[in-house]
Amino acid sequence: MQKEDKLTHPVFQADQVTVNYDKTSVLWDISLKVPSGKLVGIIGPNGAGKSTFIKAALGLVKPISGSFFYFGKPLKEVPLQVAYVPQRETVDWDFPITVKDLVLMGRYGKLGLFKWPRKADKEAAEYYLNQVGMTAYKDRQINQLSGGQQQRVFIARALLQEADIYFMDEPLSGIDHATETVIMNILRQLQQSGKTIFVVHHDLNTVQTYFDWIVMLNTRLVACGAISEAYNSDTLQKTYGKSYSLFDEALKLSNNKASGLL
Amino acid sequence: MDFFGFFTDPVLRGPTIGSMLMCLVAALVGVIVFLRKQSLIGEALSHAAYPGVILGVIVAGIFSIDESNDLTIASMIMFGAFVSSLAGLWSINYLQKKWRIRSDSALCFVLSTFFGIGLTLASQVQISYTSLFRKLPAYLFGQAATMNDIHIYIYVVLALIVVFTIILMFKELQTLTFNPDFAESIGISSRYINGIFCILTVLAIVIGIRSVGVLLLSAMLIAPAAAARQFSHRLPVLFFLAGFFGIISGYFGNYLSITLSHHATAEYPNSKMIIPSGPMIILVATLICIFALLFAPERGLIMRFMRASYFRFNCLSENILKSLWRLDREHAATIKTIYSSQHISVIYLRFILYTLKRNGWIQTVNGSYQLTNDGKKRAAKIVRLHRLWEVYLAEYLGVGSERVHRNAEEMEHILTPEIERELTVLLKDPKWDPHHQRIPQKEAYEYV
Repeated sequence: MQKEDKLTHPVFQADQVTVNYDKTSVLWDISLKVPSGKLVGIIGPNGAGKSTFIKAALGLVKPISGSFFYFGKPLKEVPLQVAYVPQRETVDWDFPITVKDLVLMGRYGKLGLFKWPRKADKEAAEYYLNQVGMTAYKDRQINQLSGGQQQRVFIARALLQEADIYFMDEPLSGIDHATETVIMNILRQLQQSGKTIFVVHHDLNTVQTYFDWIVMLNTRLVACGAISEAYNSDTLQKTYGKSYSLFDEALKLSNNKASGLL
Repeated sequence: MDFFGFFTDPVLRGPTIGSMLMCLVAALVGVIVFLRKQSLIGEALSHAAYPGVILGVIVAGIFSIDESNDLTIASMIMFGAFVSSLAGLWSINYLQKKWRIRSDSALCFVLSTFFGIGLTLASQVQISYTSLFRKLPAYLFGQAATMNDIHIYIYVVLALIVVFTIILMFKELQTLTFNPDFAESIGISSRYINGIFCILTVLAIVIGIRSVGVLLLSAMLIAPAAAARQFSHRLPVLFFLAGFFGIISGYFGNYLSITLSHHATAEYPNSKMIIPSGPMIILVATLICIFALLFAPERGLIMRFMRASYFRFNCLSENILKSLWRLDREHAATIKTIYSSQHISVIYLRFILYTLKRNGWIQTVNGSYQLTNDGKKRAAKIVRLHRLWEVYLAEYLGVGSERVHRNAEEMEHILTPEIERELTVLLKDPKWDPHHQRIPQKEAYEYV
């Protein structure tokens, strides 16, 4: 842990972040730095606060204390450099929209308030749809897509944002093998062009082959560093083991007491 | 009175155009309300507008504004409704955020409290301003008939505001409704956009209470949107269709209200009956909605029923082909033998056999049925899908071989050629199924 603290120009930094969110998922005093151009896996058991961490980093959830920095600046100053792929299950796939219009949303941030997408934006959307292999589906209604196809469309939307940092919430869960390969290839390409990608991940079997940097969370930060150094049986034990459950319990108790529920 | 008469007649054009504008606005706002599954919001906010209506009347009474001064009274009532509806909205948010009350409880609480206050105030008006009190039922059930050109001017301005705001905020509303987290992450402020949208909703309600009334207004938000959803998968089209259905409901609801009132007055000259426009408008909107739910080409119940029936028919046909294939590939089977293996009536069986024969899958030999060459191939294909699926279930999903038959019986009618190809590759083109029966190979079902 000491080692990455010496990072002088982190592309992403969390500084003593504590989040108390709906009383269930909680993050406690997270401080970490990530250098540029890494493919970062975020792992931890259910309810460890992985999604909450991403949401807090994107400003969707307000931390009680602490702050995030991108290129040394707060998110407000570099909003367009950060892209987000939410969990697939969080949206209503029966919403009346076609695949290509969904992807086009990736440009809405750049366009700004009240402006309509231009021809150039539509062409770019088609380009990224092709990159995820979904061109044939561009005029389909989104409720006709399989899980893997839905995920590809979400990835295409994030690609269209053409950001420098990507946050992806479980892009590889519940999808077919072919889609997983396609997505991983895209992520590696992004990484090669110097982008930093954060991926909330569940499958421990693939962690070492997919990622070169790891963030291990269980309410507190267990480890953050290059996969070769930070990812080992000791940190895994700490992340998924029982040693933290007592801490969790005490924290929940304290939250309930503070809010007057107990 | 003909169709255009309702637009040119100086007495009728007020209610006609007013109702149409109001329904258009309600329908457009309703699309977003409907997609966000927030129908109760409309219900709560329209009821919350009622005390404002009464307060408007009371203020008019205090300043002893003449009953004939329609513009002033209408503006006061609408302003009152606007303010109290907004207060209702604020209360709902406050209850949810600060008191952590669940949204449905908060909505019901606000709905009943505000409406109760309105009713209490109304009984006060009945005593103090009797002449104005007679105006009040119009705001409960809607009474378009007394609207005039002044109302049209007000409504045109408000309707234009709503339409232009929706056009302007289209992409923000779309993103926020579909995927709020993502919208927020790209800098679309849910607070501002949703705030503006709430004001639009309140505006739509304020415009609507005159012709539909607070009691029925939420139906006007939802019905056109629900009908439009049956026909389209695209949000812009949804707005157009819902707006169109709204306008139609407005016109014909008003038409019914006026003509029925005429008839009623002719029938009972002494009663001076007036049919309120609100229920009529809602009636038309609901009829459109029911029609859409039943007859829409893709999602309509009737088309879905027909497709499901056709699918069942197809399954039965394939099952019969299959049993003919299994019974005796080369010789004919009597209808009795076929009947014993199927759970359907003899008449239906004869009908299916007739269509199978007409389509060239089977032929009759001395009154018995036999597969044609094409029929054999098709049957072999079905059996192949069935057995491939059994192998897949048993080998890949670890289902016991005694339990695979049932599921395969269903899947054999559903599997597409692409899935079959993938199965063949995945299972390495197996020759035997889990019950040690031969799986028909390429030459059995393909044309050479």
